[in-house]
Amino acid sequence: MRLAPGSVSWLLRHELRLAWYNAAGGKDAGGKRGMGRLALGLMLAGWAVLHLAAWVVVDKLAGTPGDDPRILLAITALLAVATTFMLSSAIKSSVLVMFERSDLDLLLSSPLPSHSILAVRLAGVSAGTAALYLGLLAPFAHAGLLQGQWRWLGIYPAVISVAVLCSCCAMLLTLGLVRVLGARRTRVVAQVIGALAGALLVIGSQLQALLPRESQGRVRETIVRAMQQVEAPDNPLWIPARALLGDLGPILSLAVVAVLVFMLTARGTHRFFARGLQLAASVAPAPVARAGVQRHRFGRSLFAAVVVKEWRLIVRDPQLLSQVLLQLLFLLPLFFVIFKRADIQVQAIGAGMAVLCSSLTGALAWIALSAEDAPDLLRVAPASQGLLRRAKLAAAVIPVLALVALPLLWLIGRAPVAGLVACLVVCGAVVGAGLIVFWCGRPGVRSNFKGRGKGGFVMNMLELSNSLSWGALGWFLLAATIAPLSGMAMVAVLAGAVFAIATPGAAWLLRQKLA
Amino acid sequence: MDDTLAALRLTGLRKHFGRPAVDGLDLTVRRGEFYALLGPNGAGKTTTLRLVTGLLAPDAGSIEVLGIDLASAPAAAKAKMAYLPDEPMLYGKLKQFEYLEFVAGLWGVRAEEAEPRARELLDWLGLSPHAHELTEGFSRGMKQKLALAGALIHAPELLILDEPLTGLDAAAARQVKDLLLTHVAKGGTVILTTHILEVAERLAQRIGIISAGRLTAEGTLDELRARTQGGSLEDVFLQLTATP
Repeated sequence: MRLAPGSVSWLLRHELRLAWYNAAGGKDAGGKRGMGRLALGLMLAGWAVLHLAAWVVVDKLAGTPGDDPRILLAITALLAVATTFMLSSAIKSSVLVMFERSDLDLLLSSPLPSHSILAVRLAGVSAGTAALYLGLLAPFAHAGLLQGQWRWLGIYPAVISVAVLCSCCAMLLTLGLVRVLGARRTRVVAQVIGALAGALLVIGSQLQALLPRESQGRVRETIVRAMQQVEAPDNPLWIPARALLGDLGPILSLAVVAVLVFMLTARGTHRFFARGLQLAASVAPAPVARAGVQRHRFGRSLFAAVVVKEWRLIVRDPQLLSQVLLQLLFLLPLFFVIFKRADIQVQAIGAGMAVLCSSLTGALAWIALSAEDAPDLLRVAPASQGLLRRAKLAAAVIPVLALVALPLLWLIGRAPVAGLVACLVVCGAVVGAGLIVFWCGRPGVRSNFKGRGKGGFVMNMLELSNSLSWGALGWFLLAATIAPLSGMAMVAVLAGAVFAIATPGAAWLLRQKLA
Repeated sequence: MDDTLAALRLTGLRKHFGRPAVDGLDLTVRRGEFYALLGPNGAGKTTTLRLVTGLLAPDAGSIEVLGIDLASAPAAAKAKMAYLPDEPMLYGKLKQFEYLEFVAGLWGVRAEEAEPRARELLDWLGLSPHAHELTEGFSRGMKQKLALAGALIHAPELLILDEPLTGLDAAAARQVKDLLLTHVAKGGTVILTTHILEVAERLAQRIGIISAGRLTAEGTLDELRARTQGGSLEDVFLQLTATP
C-alpha cells in the first residue's frame, strides 16, 4: 500500500521501521547484530511457554465472575504496579525523544506539521511502553480466544489505553520540566523521576515497614476502610480492571479517555514540543566553577593519569552519574529494613552488598573500559594497552570499594567474622564483575549507557550470574556465622562458590569471541 | 636515500577491506620535510596514515618510523610521532590543561617539560582564556587547536595530520599552518593529507599523489608540473588522478 508522503500514517511507518531496525536488525558500535538469533530464539521459546501457562490459568479461571471484588482488587493492584513501571518507561522514552533522537532536526526542518510529528512520536512512545506488557499478557488473550472466552481479549485495549495515558502524562511532564527547569536539568531530573516512578510501590511498601508497630496497624486499618468504601462493582476505580477482564463498557470508556487525552496532548502541546526541542538543541555546556588558581598535576604516572581522567569524566557527567546511581535506588528499601531491625540481618546485608557492588562495578567498568571517548588516542600512544586497561579497571573498582568500605567496617565492628566474610564476598563480586567487562566488554558510546544491555546476551548473562552467585554465596556463608548450615545449605554454598569462580572463568574463555 | 635521513619509509604496504585500500605502497618521507599526501576520496590516504600510526595492522609490507620498525618496536616508534585525525580525539568533560596532562601522561612526558610546553602551546594557539571551560563547549576550530596542542605536547619528531584544516576559519587555519611551519623549521617532519590544494601548494616541500592505494606521482610542485602539462596544482592533480 502506498501511503501519502508526509501523512501521519507515512511517518508512523517510518517510525515503526526505525524501531524494528533498532530492536532486531540494528548494529551496535562494534558492528555486531543488535539481537542475536540465540536471544531471539530464547525469547520466542519463553513466549511459547508463557502461552502454555496462560492456557492453564485461563482454563482454571473459566466461570469465575468478573465482578468479584477480590479479583477486581487483585487486578487493580497488578495494574497499579504495571502503571508505575509504564510511567517510568514512558518518561525515559520521552527524554529520549526530546534529547537524543537526532532525526528530529530533519523532521522539524521539513514542511511537516509539528502536531503530526508529535503525534507519531507520542504513538511511538506509547507502543514502546505497551510492548513489554502486551508481550507478557497477550498470551492470556490468545489462550482465551482459543478457549472461546472472549473477555480475555480485553487485555489488548486495556493495556494499550493505559500505556497511551502513561505516555501522555510522561510527555507532558517532560515538556513541563523543560519549561520550569530548562533543558539541561530536565534530562537528569526526568531520569530520577522515571526511576522513582518505577520504584514507587516498592519503596512505598517498605516505608510502611519502617513505621512503628502501632502506626503500621493504623495504616492497615485505613487501607481496609478505604477498600470497603470502593467495593461496589460500579465504582470508577475498577474501570481499568474491568476493562482488562473484557467488560465492554469499561473498555470503551478507557479507550475513549485514552484517545481524547492523546489527541489533546498532540494537538495542544505540539508548539511547545517544538519549542522544547529548540531549547534542548540550544542547551549550553554546564558551567564549571572557576577555581581561584589553576592547579595542574603534570608528571603523573600513566596508571594514575588514566584513573584520574576516568573519574573526572564520570563525575562531570551528571546524566551518566544519575543513571549509574539510580541502580542503587532499587536496593535502598532492602537496606531500610535491614538497618531498622535491632537484630541485624548479616545474610541480607552481605547478599545485598554483593549484588549492589557487582551491578555498580559492571556499570562503571563498562563506562571506563568499553565507552572510551577517544580510543584512537590511547592506541596511538606508546603505552602498554594492557596497563591502560588495568588502570581503567581500577578506576571502576576503586570507587565501589570505597563506597562500601564504611558499611563493611561498621559490620566488622559489630560482628567481626561476619564482617570479614562480607568483605570477601563483596571483593569477589566486584572483581568478578570488573573482569567480565574487562574480558568481554564490547565498545560502545557513553550516551548509550542505557542500551549497554544490548551489548551482548552472553555477557549480560555472565554479569547476572556473577551477581547472583556471589549474592547467594554471601547469604549462606554469613548465615553460617550465626548457626550451623544444613546439608542443603552446604550444597548451596558449594554451588554458589563454583558459579562465582566459573563465571569469570567463562568470561576469560569467551574473551576473544565476545569482545 | 640513507636510512638515517628517512622520517618514514613504507615498503610494499598493503591493506584490504574487501577491496584493496592500500595496494603495495612505497613511500619515503625525509627528516625535516613538510610532505603533503593528496588523492581523491577513497584513494587510501587515511588508511595509510592509520597504518603508519598503528591504528590498523597491514596485510603486508613494512613501516619504519625514524629508522624504527613499527611492527617489532611499536612503542618506540609511537613515542616519536603524533597523530591528529580529522575528528579531534578529545574528552568533552575535561578542561584543556587536564586534557594535556592526560596526553602528557600517555607519552610519559616529565612534568618540568610538559607544563611549560602546555602553557606555551595554549598561549600560541590563543586558547589560554578558555582554561576554565570544558572542551565540550569549544568550537570546531578550538577543538582542533587543542588536539594539535595535545599532539605537540611530547615534541614529536614526526607529526602526522589527516585533514587538519577542515572546518577551520581563516584565523584558526593560519595559526595551525604557522605552528606546522614552525615545527618543520625546528627540524621536525610533517606529513599531512588535505583536500585544500592551496595548502599543499603553499606549505609542502614535496607532494605525493595517491590513487587506488598506490603512489602515482611524487615530487616538488615544479617536478609534478614538469610531468604534466603544467598549470596550477589543481590542474596537475586532476590530470594525475583522472580515471582513464
